[in-house]
Amino acid sequence: MNKFLIYLGGFVILLFYFILTIFILPGDFLLTEQLIPEPTFQTILSDSEIILGDSFRLDIVSVNNGDYADIHIVSVAFPDLIEIGDVVKIATYHFSLSPSYISIGEKIGSKYSGGVETTIAQYPSIEAMSRPLKPNIETHFDLVVTPNTSGIFNIYVKSIGIPHSSDVSHYPYSGILDHQNEYVQVHSVTVNP
Amino acid sequence: MTNLTSNLTENFLKSRSEIIFLVGSILTSFGILLVTVGGSWDITNHLLSKPETFFSPPHALMYSGVAISLTGVVLSFIGWKNLQKFRDSYFLSLKVQLIGIGLLTGAGPLDFIWHSYFGLDGLLSPPHFTLIVGMFLCSIGGMIGISRYLKFNNSESISKYLLILAVIPVWLSASGIISSLSLPFSSTDFFEFNPEPTIAFIIASLAYPFLISLSLTLIFRLSNYQFGLLSILGGLFLLIYSSTAIIPNFAMFDTIQFYSLNLIPFIVADIFLKLNRSKFSLFFVGGLVGSVFYMVYYPYVMYTYNEILLGKLVSPSLIYFVYFELIQTVLVYTLIPAIVMGFLGVMFSDRLSKKILMN
Repeated sequence: MNKFLIYLGGFVILLFYFILTIFILPGDFLLTEQLIPEPTFQTILSDSEIILGDSFRLDIVSVNNGDYADIHIVSVAFPDLIEIGDVVKIATYHFSLSPSYISIGEKIGSKYSGGVETTIAQYPSIEAMSRPLKPNIETHFDLVVTPNTSGIFNIYVKSIGIPHSSDVSHYPYSGILDHQNEYVQVHSVTVNP
Repeated sequence: MTNLTSNLTENFLKSRSEIIFLVGSILTSFGILLVTVGGSWDITNHLLSKPETFFSPPHALMYSGVAISLTGVVLSFIGWKNLQKFRDSYFLSLKVQLIGIGLLTGAGPLDFIWHSYFGLDGLLSPPHFTLIVGMFLCSIGGMIGISRYLKFNNSESISKYLLILAVIPVWLSASGIISSLSLPFSSTDFFEFNPEPTIAFIIASLAYPFLISLSLTLIFRLSNYQFGLLSILGGLFLLIYSSTAIIPNFAMFDTIQFYSLNLIPFIVADIFLKLNRSKFSLFFVGGLVGSVFYMVYYPYVMYTYNEILLGKLVSPSLIYFVYFELIQTVLVYTLIPAIVMGFLGVMFSDRLSKKILMN
Protein backbone atom coordinates (compact mmCIF):
# COMPACT_ATOMS: atom_id res chain seq x y z
CA MET A 1 0.00 0.00 0.00
CA ASN A 2 2.80 2.36 0.99
CA LYS A 3 4.72 1.52 -2.17
CA PHE A 4 1.61 2.17 -4.24
CA LEU A 5 1.19 5.59 -2.64
CA ILE A 6 4.84 6.48 -3.28
CA TYR A 7 4.51 5.46 -6.94
CA LEU A 8 1.28 7.42 -7.24
CA GLY A 9 2.92 10.44 -5.64
CA GLY A 10 5.89 10.08 -7.99
CA PHE A 11 3.69 9.98 -11.09
CA VAL A 12 1.65 12.97 -9.90
CA ILE A 13 4.85 14.97 -9.32
CA LEU A 14 6.14 13.97 -12.76
CA LEU A 15 2.86 15.05 -14.34
CA PHE A 16 3.12 18.36 -12.50
CA TYR A 17 6.73 18.71 -13.74
CA PHE A 18 5.86 18.08 -17.39
CA ILE A 19 2.83 20.39 -17.37
CA LEU A 20 4.83 23.14 -15.71
CA THR A 21 7.93 22.90 -17.91
CA ILE A 22 6.22 22.29 -21.25
CA PHE A 23 3.04 24.34 -21.03
CA ILE A 24 2.81 26.78 -18.12
CA LEU A 25 6.29 28.27 -17.66
CA PRO A 26 7.12 28.64 -21.38
CA GLY A 27 3.85 30.55 -21.85
CA ASP A 28 4.68 32.80 -18.91
CA PHE A 29 8.21 33.49 -20.07
CA LEU A 30 7.06 34.24 -23.62
CA LEU A 31 4.74 36.90 -22.21
CA THR A 32 7.56 38.79 -20.51
CA GLU A 33 8.62 41.97 -22.26
CA GLN A 34 11.57 41.81 -24.58
CA LEU A 35 14.40 44.29 -24.21
CA ILE A 36 14.04 47.27 -26.56
CA PRO A 37 17.30 49.04 -27.30
CA GLU A 38 16.94 52.53 -28.77
CA PRO A 39 20.08 53.61 -30.57
CA THR A 40 20.50 57.19 -31.74
CA PHE A 41 23.46 59.25 -32.85
CA GLN A 42 24.59 62.77 -33.54
CA THR A 43 27.05 63.69 -36.23
CA ILE A 44 29.36 66.63 -36.75
CA LEU A 45 30.65 67.14 -40.25
CA SER A 46 33.73 69.41 -40.30
CA ASP A 47 33.19 70.76 -43.85
CA SER A 48 30.46 70.70 -46.46
CA GLU A 49 32.87 71.72 -49.23
CA ILE A 50 36.54 70.91 -49.71
CA ILE A 51 39.19 70.97 -52.43
CA LEU A 52 40.34 67.68 -53.91
CA GLY A 53 43.25 66.40 -51.84
CA ASP A 54 41.99 67.93 -48.62
CA SER A 55 40.35 65.97 -45.83
CA PHE A 56 37.18 66.42 -43.82
CA ARG A 57 36.16 64.86 -40.56
CA LEU A 58 32.96 63.10 -39.56
CA ASP A 59 32.46 62.67 -35.82
CA ILE A 60 29.68 60.33 -34.68
CA VAL A 61 28.51 60.09 -31.09
CA SER A 62 26.01 57.30 -30.61
CA VAL A 63 24.08 56.33 -27.53
CA ASN A 64 21.61 53.65 -26.54
CA ASN A 65 18.61 55.40 -24.97
CA GLY A 66 16.59 52.23 -24.48
CA ASP A 67 17.13 48.89 -22.73
CA TYR A 68 20.37 46.98 -22.58
CA ALA A 69 21.47 46.08 -26.13
CA ASP A 70 23.09 42.74 -26.84
CA ILE A 71 24.78 44.40 -29.80
CA HIS A 72 25.03 48.11 -30.68
CA ILE A 73 26.09 48.81 -34.25
CA VAL A 74 27.05 52.03 -35.98
CA SER A 75 27.53 51.59 -39.71
CA VAL A 76 29.13 54.11 -42.03
CA ALA A 77 28.91 53.40 -45.76
CA PHE A 78 30.48 55.09 -48.78
CA PRO A 79 28.22 54.70 -51.82
CA ASP A 80 30.63 56.61 -54.11
CA LEU A 81 33.63 54.41 -53.40
CA ILE A 82 34.66 51.08 -54.91
CA GLU A 83 37.01 50.38 -52.02
CA ILE A 84 37.87 52.18 -48.81
CA GLY A 85 41.66 52.03 -49.25
CA ASP A 86 43.36 55.17 -47.91
CA VAL A 87 40.30 57.36 -48.40
CA VAL A 88 38.88 56.75 -44.93
CA LYS A 89 40.89 56.65 -41.71
CA ILE A 90 39.45 55.97 -38.27
CA ALA A 91 40.44 58.76 -35.89
CA THR A 92 38.51 57.76 -32.76
CA TYR A 93 36.99 54.41 -31.95
CA HIS A 94 35.29 53.65 -28.64
CA PHE A 95 33.55 50.32 -29.22
CA SER A 96 34.18 46.96 -27.57
CA LEU A 97 34.79 45.03 -30.81
CA SER A 98 37.22 45.83 -33.61
CA PRO A 99 35.78 47.63 -36.66
CA SER A 100 34.58 45.41 -39.46
CA TYR A 101 35.39 46.46 -43.04
CA ILE A 102 32.83 45.33 -45.60
CA SER A 103 33.74 45.20 -49.30
CA ILE A 104 31.60 45.18 -52.42
CA GLY A 105 30.20 41.70 -53.13
CA GLU A 106 30.23 40.48 -49.53
CA LYS A 107 27.12 38.81 -48.14
CA ILE A 108 25.57 41.06 -45.49
CA GLY A 109 22.40 41.12 -43.40
CA SER A 110 19.38 43.08 -44.51
CA LYS A 111 16.04 44.43 -43.27
CA TYR A 112 17.26 44.61 -39.68
CA SER A 113 17.20 40.80 -39.53
CA GLY A 114 20.68 40.53 -38.03
CA GLY A 115 21.83 38.20 -40.77
CA VAL A 116 18.77 35.97 -41.12
CA GLU A 117 17.90 37.75 -44.37
CA THR A 118 20.90 38.63 -46.49
CA THR A 119 21.91 40.68 -49.49
CA ILE A 120 25.11 41.51 -51.38
CA ALA A 121 27.05 44.68 -50.52
CA GLN A 122 26.96 47.18 -53.38
CA TYR A 123 29.46 49.61 -51.83
CA PRO A 124 32.01 49.51 -49.02
CA SER A 125 31.24 50.28 -45.40
CA ILE A 126 32.70 50.13 -41.91
CA GLU A 127 30.75 48.66 -38.99
CA ALA A 128 31.54 49.61 -35.42
CA MET A 129 30.19 47.27 -32.77
CA SER A 130 29.84 47.04 -29.02
CA ARG A 131 28.67 43.79 -27.44
CA PRO A 132 26.81 44.49 -25.19
CA LEU A 133 25.97 48.16 -24.62
CA LYS A 134 24.25 49.32 -21.45
CA PRO A 135 21.71 52.15 -21.60
CA ASN A 136 22.93 55.75 -21.79
CA ILE A 137 26.52 54.87 -22.63
CA GLU A 138 28.05 57.00 -25.37
CA THR A 139 30.26 55.53 -28.08
CA HIS A 140 32.50 57.60 -30.35
CA PHE A 141 33.35 56.85 -33.95
CA ASP A 142 35.26 59.59 -35.75
CA LEU A 143 36.50 59.37 -39.31
CA VAL A 144 38.91 61.40 -41.41
CA VAL A 145 37.99 61.23 -45.08
CA THR A 146 40.19 62.25 -48.00
CA PRO A 147 38.18 61.83 -51.22
CA ASN A 148 40.21 60.86 -54.30
CA THR A 149 37.83 62.24 -56.93
CA SER A 150 35.94 65.48 -57.31
CA GLY A 151 32.16 65.73 -57.17
CA ILE A 152 29.65 64.98 -54.44
CA PHE A 153 30.97 62.61 -51.80
CA ASN A 154 28.15 60.89 -49.89
CA ILE A 155 28.32 59.10 -46.59
CA TYR A 156 25.52 56.94 -45.16
CA VAL A 157 25.28 56.60 -41.38
CA LYS A 158 22.92 54.39 -39.38
CA SER A 159 22.76 52.68 -36.03
CA ILE A 160 21.05 49.43 -35.06
CA GLY A 161 20.40 47.83 -31.67
CA ILE A 162 20.06 44.09 -31.28
CA PRO A 163 17.68 42.59 -30.32
CA HIS A 164 15.89 44.52 -33.02
CA SER A 165 12.62 44.24 -31.16
CA SER A 166 10.90 47.47 -32.22
CA ASP A 167 10.86 50.22 -34.83
CA VAL A 168 12.89 52.34 -32.43
CA SER A 169 15.66 49.75 -32.33
CA HIS A 170 17.24 51.43 -35.33
CA TYR A 171 18.13 55.01 -36.21
CA PRO A 172 17.19 56.93 -38.29
CA TYR A 173 13.55 55.85 -38.28
CA SER A 174 12.82 56.95 -41.85
CA GLY A 175 14.43 58.46 -44.91
CA ILE A 176 16.60 56.91 -47.59
CA LEU A 177 16.99 53.13 -47.72
CA ASP A 178 20.47 51.73 -48.32
CA HIS A 179 21.55 48.49 -50.02
CA GLN A 180 20.54 46.59 -46.88
CA ASN A 181 17.03 48.00 -47.10
CA GLU A 182 17.68 49.92 -43.88
CA TYR A 183 17.26 53.64 -43.21
CA VAL A 184 20.34 55.86 -43.34
CA GLN A 185 21.21 59.47 -42.62
CA VAL A 186 23.00 60.97 -45.61
CA HIS A 187 25.90 63.42 -45.34
CA SER A 188 27.28 65.02 -48.46
CA VAL A 189 30.49 66.94 -49.06
CA THR A 190 31.24 68.77 -52.31
CA VAL A 191 34.76 68.05 -53.49
CA ASN A 192 35.98 70.78 -55.85
CA PRO A 193 38.74 70.05 -58.37
CA MET B 1 72.05 6.92 4.55
CA THR B 2 71.03 7.40 0.91
CA ASN B 3 70.26 3.70 0.62
CA LEU B 4 68.13 3.85 3.77
CA THR B 5 66.09 6.79 2.45
CA SER B 6 65.71 5.04 -0.87
CA ASN B 7 64.52 1.84 0.83
CA LEU B 8 62.08 3.76 3.02
CA THR B 9 60.65 5.54 -0.03
CA GLU B 10 60.37 2.24 -1.89
CA ASN B 11 58.65 0.56 1.04
CA PHE B 12 56.27 3.49 1.44
CA LEU B 13 55.40 3.47 -2.26
CA LYS B 14 54.81 -0.28 -2.21
CA SER B 15 52.66 -0.25 0.91
CA ARG B 16 50.60 2.74 -0.22
CA SER B 17 50.63 2.12 -3.95
CA GLU B 18 46.93 1.39 -4.28
CA ILE B 19 45.99 4.50 -2.32
CA ILE B 20 48.41 6.54 -4.45
CA PHE B 21 46.75 5.13 -7.55
CA LEU B 22 43.33 6.07 -6.16
CA VAL B 23 44.46 9.61 -5.30
CA GLY B 24 45.89 9.89 -8.81
CA SER B 25 42.59 8.79 -10.36
CA ILE B 26 40.64 11.19 -8.13
CA LEU B 27 42.90 14.08 -9.14
CA THR B 28 42.56 13.15 -12.81
CA SER B 29 38.77 13.19 -12.54
CA PHE B 30 38.70 16.34 -10.43
CA GLY B 31 41.01 18.14 -12.88
CA ILE B 32 38.75 17.24 -15.79
CA LEU B 33 35.74 18.42 -13.79
CA LEU B 34 37.41 21.83 -13.45
CA VAL B 35 38.26 21.91 -17.17
CA THR B 36 34.67 21.12 -18.16
CA VAL B 37 33.23 23.71 -15.75
CA GLY B 38 35.71 26.31 -17.03
CA GLY B 39 34.91 25.34 -20.62
CA SER B 40 31.17 25.76 -20.18
CA TRP B 41 31.71 29.12 -18.46
CA ASP B 42 34.08 30.18 -21.26
CA ILE B 43 31.48 29.37 -23.94
CA THR B 44 28.97 31.59 -22.10
CA ASN B 45 31.51 34.42 -21.90
CA HIS B 46 32.17 34.13 -25.63
CA LEU B 47 28.43 34.25 -26.40
CA LEU B 48 28.07 37.32 -24.19
CA SER B 49 31.21 38.82 -25.79
CA LYS B 50 32.60 39.60 -22.37
CA PRO B 51 36.05 41.14 -22.60
CA GLU B 52 38.51 38.31 -22.31
CA THR B 53 42.17 38.12 -21.52
CA PHE B 54 44.29 35.01 -21.09
CA PHE B 55 43.89 35.40 -17.31
CA SER B 56 40.09 35.28 -17.30
CA PRO B 57 38.51 33.19 -14.48
CA PRO B 58 37.23 30.44 -16.86
CA HIS B 59 40.69 30.09 -18.39
CA ALA B 60 42.29 29.96 -14.92
CA LEU B 61 39.88 27.17 -13.99
CA MET B 62 40.62 25.25 -17.19
CA TYR B 63 44.41 25.49 -16.96
CA SER B 64 44.34 24.62 -13.23
CA GLY B 65 42.24 21.60 -14.16
CA VAL B 66 44.76 20.47 -16.78
CA ALA B 67 47.61 20.85 -14.25
CA ILE B 68 45.67 18.87 -11.62
CA SER B 69 44.84 16.12 -14.13
CA LEU B 70 48.45 15.93 -15.22
CA THR B 71 49.51 15.54 -11.57
CA GLY B 72 46.79 12.90 -11.17
CA VAL B 73 48.04 10.85 -14.12
CA VAL B 74 51.65 11.05 -12.85
CA LEU B 75 50.49 9.85 -9.41
CA SER B 76 48.44 7.07 -11.00
CA PHE B 77 51.52 5.95 -12.89
CA ILE B 78 53.71 5.98 -9.75
CA GLY B 79 51.02 4.12 -7.82
CA TRP B 80 50.53 1.55 -10.57
CA LYS B 81 54.27 0.95 -10.98
CA ASN B 82 54.57 0.02 -7.31
CA LEU B 83 51.38 -2.04 -7.07
CA GLN B 84 51.80 -5.43 -5.44
CA LYS B 85 48.36 -6.71 -6.41
CA PHE B 86 45.61 -5.85 -8.96
CA ARG B 87 48.35 -4.54 -11.30
CA ASP B 88 46.65 -5.92 -14.40
CA SER B 89 43.24 -4.78 -13.18
CA TYR B 90 44.34 -1.17 -12.84
CA PHE B 91 46.27 -1.12 -16.12
CA LEU B 92 43.24 -0.27 -18.24
CA SER B 93 42.54 2.81 -16.12
CA LEU B 94 46.17 3.93 -16.35
CA LYS B 95 46.35 3.29 -20.09
CA VAL B 96 43.22 5.35 -20.82
CA GLN B 97 44.42 8.16 -18.52
CA LEU B 98 47.80 8.24 -20.28
CA ILE B 99 46.26 8.44 -23.76
CA GLY B 100 43.84 11.10 -22.52
CA ILE B 101 46.47 13.29 -20.90
CA GLY B 102 48.66 12.90 -24.01
CA LEU B 103 45.85 14.29 -26.18
CA LEU B 104 44.93 16.93 -23.60
CA THR B 105 48.43 18.35 -23.25
CA GLY B 106 49.15 17.92 -26.96
CA ALA B 107 46.06 19.97 -27.81
CA GLY B 108 47.64 23.09 -26.23
CA PRO B 109 50.52 23.54 -28.72
CA LEU B 110 48.24 22.39 -31.55
CA ASP B 111 45.76 25.11 -30.56
CA PHE B 112 48.55 27.71 -30.53
CA ILE B 113 49.69 26.69 -34.04
CA TRP B 114 46.07 26.71 -35.26
CA HIS B 115 45.51 30.21 -33.86
CA SER B 116 48.75 31.42 -35.43
CA TYR B 117 47.66 30.28 -38.89
CA PHE B 118 43.88 30.67 -38.83
CA GLY B 119 43.08 33.21 -36.09
CA LEU B 120 40.24 32.56 -33.69
CA ASP B 121 38.57 29.19 -33.92
CA GLY B 122 35.03 28.13 -33.08
CA LEU B 123 33.78 25.42 -30.76
CA LEU B 124 34.69 22.62 -33.16
CA SER B 125 38.20 22.66 -34.57
CA PRO B 126 40.90 19.98 -34.73
CA PRO B 127 42.73 21.25 -31.60
CA HIS B 128 39.50 21.72 -29.64
CA PHE B 129 38.25 18.27 -30.59
CA THR B 130 41.60 16.76 -29.57
CA LEU B 131 41.25 18.57 -26.24
CA ILE B 132 37.69 17.36 -25.61
CA VAL B 133 38.49 13.76 -26.56
CA GLY B 134 41.52 13.93 -24.24
CA MET B 135 39.29 15.19 -21.43
CA PHE B 136 36.79 12.42 -22.09
CA LEU B 137 39.47 9.71 -22.02
CA CYS B 138 41.07 11.09 -18.85
CA SER B 139 37.69 11.11 -17.13
CA ILE B 140 36.97 7.54 -18.30
CA GLY B 141 40.36 6.43 -16.98
CA GLY B 142 39.72 8.17 -13.65
CA MET B 143 36.26 6.61 -13.41
CA ILE B 144 37.59 3.09 -14.03
CA GLY B 145 40.35 3.57 -11.44
CA ILE B 146 38.02 4.90 -8.74
CA SER B 147 35.30 2.29 -9.41
CA ARG B 148 37.72 -0.63 -9.34
CA TYR B 149 39.38 0.61 -6.16
CA LEU B 150 36.01 0.82 -4.43
CA LYS B 151 35.13 -2.67 -5.61
CA PHE B 152 38.44 -4.34 -4.71
CA ASN B 153 38.42 -2.77 -1.28
CA ASN B 154 34.74 -3.45 -0.51
CA SER B 155 34.35 0.21 0.31
CA GLU B 156 31.61 1.36 2.61
CA SER B 157 28.60 3.35 1.46
CA ILE B 158 30.19 6.67 2.34
CA SER B 159 33.17 6.03 0.01
CA LYS B 160 30.77 5.40 -2.84
CA TYR B 161 30.09 9.13 -2.98
CA LEU B 162 33.46 9.25 -4.74
CA LEU B 163 31.62 7.75 -7.71
CA ILE B 164 29.91 11.11 -8.21
CA LEU B 165 33.34 12.66 -8.76
CA ALA B 166 34.14 9.74 -11.07
CA VAL B 167 31.04 9.96 -13.28
CA ILE B 168 30.29 13.72 -13.48
CA PRO B 169 33.42 14.57 -15.54
CA VAL B 170 32.56 11.74 -17.95
CA TRP B 171 29.03 13.13 -18.34
CA LEU B 172 30.26 16.70 -18.80
CA SER B 173 33.09 15.90 -21.21
CA ALA B 174 30.86 13.60 -23.29
CA SER B 175 28.33 16.46 -23.36
CA GLY B 176 31.16 18.62 -24.70
CA ILE B 177 31.76 16.17 -27.55
CA ILE B 178 28.05 16.09 -28.45
CA SER B 179 27.78 19.89 -28.20
CA SER B 180 30.76 20.45 -30.47
CA LEU B 181 29.23 18.11 -33.05
CA SER B 182 25.78 19.68 -32.91
CA LEU B 183 25.95 23.38 -31.91
CA PRO B 184 26.35 25.95 -34.69
CA PHE B 185 29.26 27.73 -32.98
CA SER B 186 32.05 26.68 -35.32
CA SER B 187 31.97 28.99 -38.31
CA THR B 188 35.13 31.08 -38.74
CA ASP B 189 36.69 33.20 -41.48
CA PHE B 190 38.83 30.26 -42.61
CA PHE B 191 36.68 27.21 -41.96
CA GLU B 192 33.02 26.29 -41.86
CA PHE B 193 32.97 23.60 -39.21
CA ASN B 194 29.34 24.14 -38.26
CA PRO B 195 27.59 20.77 -38.47
CA GLU B 196 24.97 20.36 -41.17
CA PRO B 197 21.71 21.38 -39.41
CA THR B 198 19.83 18.11 -40.04
CA ILE B 199 22.75 15.99 -38.89
CA ALA B 200 23.18 18.24 -35.84
CA PHE B 201 19.47 17.81 -35.08
CA ILE B 202 19.81 14.02 -35.23
CA ILE B 203 23.01 13.94 -33.16
CA ALA B 204 21.53 16.11 -30.38
CA SER B 205 18.20 14.26 -30.33
CA LEU B 206 19.85 10.85 -30.02
CA ALA B 207 23.10 11.42 -28.15
CA TYR B 208 21.97 13.67 -25.28
CA PRO B 209 19.17 11.35 -24.07
CA PHE B 210 21.47 8.34 -24.38
CA LEU B 211 24.16 10.11 -22.34
CA ILE B 212 21.84 11.24 -19.53
CA SER B 213 20.38 7.77 -19.18
CA LEU B 214 23.81 6.12 -19.38
CA SER B 215 25.39 8.41 -16.77
CA LEU B 216 22.58 8.10 -14.24
CA THR B 217 22.03 4.37 -14.51
CA LEU B 218 25.78 3.75 -14.61
CA ILE B 219 26.36 5.41 -11.24
CA PHE B 220 23.43 3.43 -9.87
CA ARG B 221 25.02 0.15 -10.99
CA LEU B 222 28.60 1.08 -10.06
CA SER B 223 27.47 1.96 -6.54
CA ASN B 224 25.73 -1.38 -6.20
CA TYR B 225 22.31 0.29 -6.35
CA GLN B 226 22.89 2.87 -3.63
CA PHE B 227 20.01 5.28 -3.11
CA GLY B 228 20.72 9.00 -3.46
CA LEU B 229 23.69 8.97 -5.83
CA LEU B 230 21.51 9.35 -8.92
CA SER B 231 19.80 12.44 -7.46
CA ILE B 232 23.07 13.99 -6.30
CA LEU B 233 24.74 13.36 -9.67
CA GLY B 234 21.78 14.84 -11.56
CA GLY B 235 21.57 17.77 -9.14
CA LEU B 236 25.29 18.47 -9.47
CA PHE B 237 25.00 18.48 -13.26
CA LEU B 238 22.14 20.99 -13.05
CA LEU B 239 24.09 23.11 -10.57
CA ILE B 240 27.17 23.22 -12.80
CA TYR B 241 25.15 24.00 -15.93
CA SER B 242 23.08 26.68 -14.23
CA SER B 243 26.08 28.39 -12.68
CA THR B 244 28.11 28.41 -15.90
CA ALA B 245 25.47 28.82 -18.62
CA ILE B 246 22.52 30.61 -17.02
CA ILE B 247 23.62 32.78 -14.08
CA PRO B 248 26.38 34.64 -16.01
CA ASN B 249 23.74 35.89 -18.47
CA PHE B 250 21.64 38.38 -16.51
CA ALA B 251 18.85 38.22 -19.10
CA MET B 252 18.28 34.55 -18.24
CA PHE B 253 18.55 34.82 -14.49
CA ASP B 254 14.76 34.54 -13.96
CA THR B 255 14.70 31.20 -15.75
CA ILE B 256 16.64 29.53 -12.93
CA GLN B 257 13.29 28.51 -11.41
CA PHE B 258 12.41 26.69 -14.64
CA TYR B 259 15.80 24.98 -14.78
CA SER B 260 15.80 23.89 -11.13
CA LEU B 261 12.56 21.97 -11.72
CA ASN B 262 14.66 19.46 -13.64
CA LEU B 263 15.74 18.00 -10.33
CA ILE B 264 12.26 16.45 -10.06
CA PRO B 265 12.70 13.65 -12.63
CA PHE B 266 16.08 12.76 -11.12
CA ILE B 267 14.70 12.48 -7.59
CA VAL B 268 11.61 10.56 -8.73
CA ALA B 269 13.83 8.19 -10.74
CA ASP B 270 16.01 7.64 -7.68
CA ILE B 271 13.00 6.86 -5.47
CA PHE B 272 11.49 4.50 -8.03
CA LEU B 273 14.77 2.60 -8.25
CA LYS B 274 14.96 2.44 -4.46
CA LEU B 275 11.53 0.78 -4.43
CA ASN B 276 12.18 -1.53 -7.34
CA ARG B 277 15.34 -2.09 -9.34
CA SER B 278 13.88 -4.55 -11.83
CA LYS B 279 14.69 -4.27 -15.52
CA PHE B 280 11.32 -2.67 -16.14
CA SER B 281 11.98 -0.05 -13.49
CA LEU B 282 15.42 0.70 -14.94
CA PHE B 283 13.99 1.05 -18.44
CA PHE B 284 11.29 3.37 -17.12
CA VAL B 285 13.95 5.52 -15.47
CA GLY B 286 16.11 5.50 -18.63
CA GLY B 287 13.16 6.57 -20.77
CA LEU B 288 12.16 9.23 -18.25
CA VAL B 289 15.56 10.90 -17.92
CA GLY B 290 16.17 10.58 -21.67
CA SER B 291 12.88 12.31 -22.44
CA VAL B 292 13.82 15.44 -20.48
CA PHE B 293 17.09 16.11 -22.34
CA TYR B 294 15.82 19.35 -23.94
CA MET B 295 15.11 20.75 -20.48
CA VAL B 296 18.34 19.44 -18.91
CA TYR B 297 20.50 20.94 -21.67
CA TYR B 298 18.80 24.35 -21.44
CA PRO B 299 19.70 26.82 -22.88
CA TYR B 300 22.31 26.06 -25.55
CA VAL B 301 20.63 22.97 -27.05
CA MET B 302 18.10 25.46 -28.47
CA TYR B 303 20.68 26.75 -30.98
CA THR B 304 20.77 23.32 -32.67
CA TYR B 305 16.99 23.15 -33.07
CA ASN B 306 16.63 26.82 -33.99
CA GLU B 307 18.86 26.22 -37.02
CA ILE B 308 16.36 23.88 -38.60
CA LEU B 309 13.00 24.78 -37.03
CA LEU B 310 13.02 28.60 -36.76
CA GLY B 311 16.22 30.09 -38.16
CA LYS B 312 15.97 33.14 -35.91
CA LEU B 313 18.80 35.42 -34.92
CA VAL B 314 19.45 34.61 -31.25
CA SER B 315 21.24 37.34 -29.35
CA PRO B 316 21.96 36.67 -25.65
CA SER B 317 18.79 38.37 -24.34
CA LEU B 318 16.62 36.39 -26.76
CA ILE B 319 17.96 32.96 -25.83
CA TYR B 320 15.10 31.98 -23.57
CA PHE B 321 12.42 33.44 -25.86
CA VAL B 322 13.55 31.24 -28.71
CA TYR B 323 14.08 28.28 -26.37
CA PHE B 324 10.52 28.43 -25.04
CA GLU B 325 9.10 29.13 -28.47
CA LEU B 326 10.62 25.85 -29.61
CA ILE B 327 10.03 23.60 -26.61
CA GLN B 328 6.76 21.98 -27.66
CA THR B 329 7.80 21.49 -31.30
CA VAL B 330 11.12 19.95 -30.26
CA LEU B 331 9.37 17.53 -27.91
CA VAL B 332 6.93 16.46 -30.62
CA TYR B 333 9.87 15.55 -32.87
CA THR B 334 12.21 14.08 -30.26
CA LEU B 335 10.17 12.52 -27.46
CA ILE B 336 9.94 8.98 -28.83
CA PRO B 337 13.54 8.78 -30.11
CA ALA B 338 14.71 10.25 -26.78
CA ILE B 339 12.86 7.59 -24.80
CA VAL B 340 14.27 4.83 -27.02
CA MET B 341 17.78 6.25 -26.58
CA GLY B 342 17.13 6.32 -22.83
CA PHE B 343 16.41 2.57 -23.01
CA LEU B 344 19.64 2.03 -24.96
CA GLY B 345 21.51 4.01 -22.31
CA VAL B 346 20.22 1.58 -19.67
CA MET B 347 21.32 -1.42 -21.73
CA PHE B 348 24.74 0.04 -22.39
CA SER B 349 25.25 0.99 -18.75
CA ASP B 350 24.65 -2.66 -17.84
CA ARG B 351 27.43 -3.86 -20.14
CA LEU B 352 29.74 -0.97 -19.26
CA SER B 353 29.36 -1.41 -15.49
CA LYS B 354 30.14 -5.14 -15.83
CA LYS B 355 33.25 -4.31 -17.82
CA ILE B 356 34.37 -1.63 -15.35
CA LEU B 357 33.73 -3.80 -12.29
CA MET B 358 35.08 -6.90 -14.06
CA ASN B 359 31.99 -8.93 -13.21
